[in-house]
Amino acid sequence: MEPASAAPAPPPEPLADPATDVTDVRIHAFVSQGVIKTTNNNYLARSKRGSAEFSEVGFNLTTSLSPDLRVGVQMFAHELGPLGNYTPTFDWYYLDYRFRDWLGVRVGRNKIPFGLYNDSADIDAARVPILLPQSLYPIDHRDYLLAQTGIELYGNQRLGPLGQIEYRGYGGTLNLATPPPPAPGVTIDKVDMPYVYGGRLSWLTPVEGLTAAASYQALRFDWNYNFVPELVPVFQSVGLLPPGSGPTLPVQFRVKLWVTSLEYQLGNLLVAAEYGRWIGKFNSRAPALLRPHTVNERYYGMVSYRVTPWFTPGAYYSVYYPNIEQRDSRKDYQRDLALSVRFDLTPNWLLKLEGHWMNGTAALEASMNDVKDVQELDKNWSAFLAKTTAYF
Amino acid sequence: MKPFRPPQTAVSPSARRRLRVLALVGSCVLWAAAGVTVSLDAASQAADGYQIIANERNPASAASREFLADVFLKRAGRWDSSQSAFPVDQRSDSRVRRAFSLSVLKRPVSAVRSYWTQRIFSGRDVPPPELGSDDAVIRFVASHPGAVGYISTGPIPAGTKRLEVR
Repeated sequence: MEPASAAPAPPPEPLADPATDVTDVRIHAFVSQGVIKTTNNNYLARSKRGSAEFSEVGFNLTTSLSPDLRVGVQMFAHELGPLGNYTPTFDWYYLDYRFRDWLGVRVGRNKIPFGLYNDSADIDAARVPILLPQSLYPIDHRDYLLAQTGIELYGNQRLGPLGQIEYRGYGGTLNLATPPPPAPGVTIDKVDMPYVYGGRLSWLTPVEGLTAAASYQALRFDWNYNFVPELVPVFQSVGLLPPGSGPTLPVQFRVKLWVTSLEYQLGNLLVAAEYGRWIGKFNSRAPALLRPHTVNERYYGMVSYRVTPWFTPGAYYSVYYPNIEQRDSRKDYQRDLALSVRFDLTPNWLLKLEGHWMNGTAALEASMNDVKDVQELDKNWSAFLAKTTAYF
Repeated sequence: MKPFRPPQTAVSPSARRRLRVLALVGSCVLWAAAGVTVSLDAASQAADGYQIIANERNPASAASREFLADVFLKRAGRWDSSQSAFPVDQRSDSRVRRAFSLSVLKRPVSAVRSYWTQRIFSGRDVPPPELGSDDAVIRFVASHPGAVGYISTGPIPAGTKRLEVR
């Protein structure tokens, strides 16, 4: 019971005028710090010894210029092992005009709707696990998959007793940094992405909380491999480069990605499952060096339940095959059983603990593990993570 | 140069096994969804203690629960009259918010907060403003034609009207 008080009532909160919303400026931010410790193999960072190179910070500002016109921007910086290095970037920025509920358009840099969670993969506070299932949402691919610069059309439409559909379609390009040299004597330059396009169709079914979705994305990378002159005859002699080729190898890499999704979220329960394939095609004069066609497979099932307002356990099982034609050796698969607990210490501060029991080495980087081939790494290994996030 | 191989179309026995497992998981999800929905529908009927108010100039006198949920989750932004809709929430720890959330949005306030966290930081949208009392909601709704809010049960304040939920 609230104590009686003779103090005057507090003044009403200042409100934006929704007719113009000129004062409706919203500011939100988050700060995360995590640690990762693995057994046997390094994963994402120099994690065998334990690593705290797992930080994220972001803040955003959005406002309405009219009831149907919004603008927003988010700055983001992170570090995850060798990635990020706290370099501030525009995570997203947009100008969004919604003509009707069934049609809106936004231009700028927008998060890519792919699967259930790609566009919110950075947002630790929005989920239970620290790492989303890495088969579908590889955290080290963040720079390639998370946002595109261009245009997006979106909307939703009620279907009467059949529920509702939501749709988002986009086209544009990605901001790509030149990757580091892939091997001694080989460098990469002239990196370009002529296009990326795709979309997601979600069906909010008549069963309360049950959503089915399908996503598709297509993109093309172009770049040049440059070999030191001494390497060219060596590669030619073993058939990796065609006779008469020079030290520069232009490459086109087309990728098509699709995923189907099912999510059931009702009350305190969340169940999700997704299955997808990514199809990559290299177009180059050196098919022996760059496999012309690869299909990989990714899927997971996930469940979480909020037991109390401050305690939510969860689990998932995630599987990744880099090449569906090769599934036998340890480098050909990555199976991940993860258990997570989330503690909401206050409405704006949380702590998570997580364990992963891994089978396979397909998700590991040879360069981070001082070997030439991930086949040489330990097949069974574990990862333990802790992370705390404050947000408002 | 080797030609591109066509995409794989044959389904291997192991792939069939995985598809069967996925189909089984999907069936379980659908079955669980149907069962839990029935039980929560019954529970939400017991949740009461709120009423939905709109500005008195709003021509609508009733709205479906689904439409109201869309408005408060900002999936829908307009009334049937094409006027922009402006939902206003109450504080997340208030009793009336909990009742409204379970009954109309069909999810607890914590799940709604999670929904908005996802929307805020992915740049999709921001939640309705949260006001601290019934009086603040009444003043907001009474002074803005497209506004809609919810308050504790009682007399309908001047400048607003009760919106029936179909």
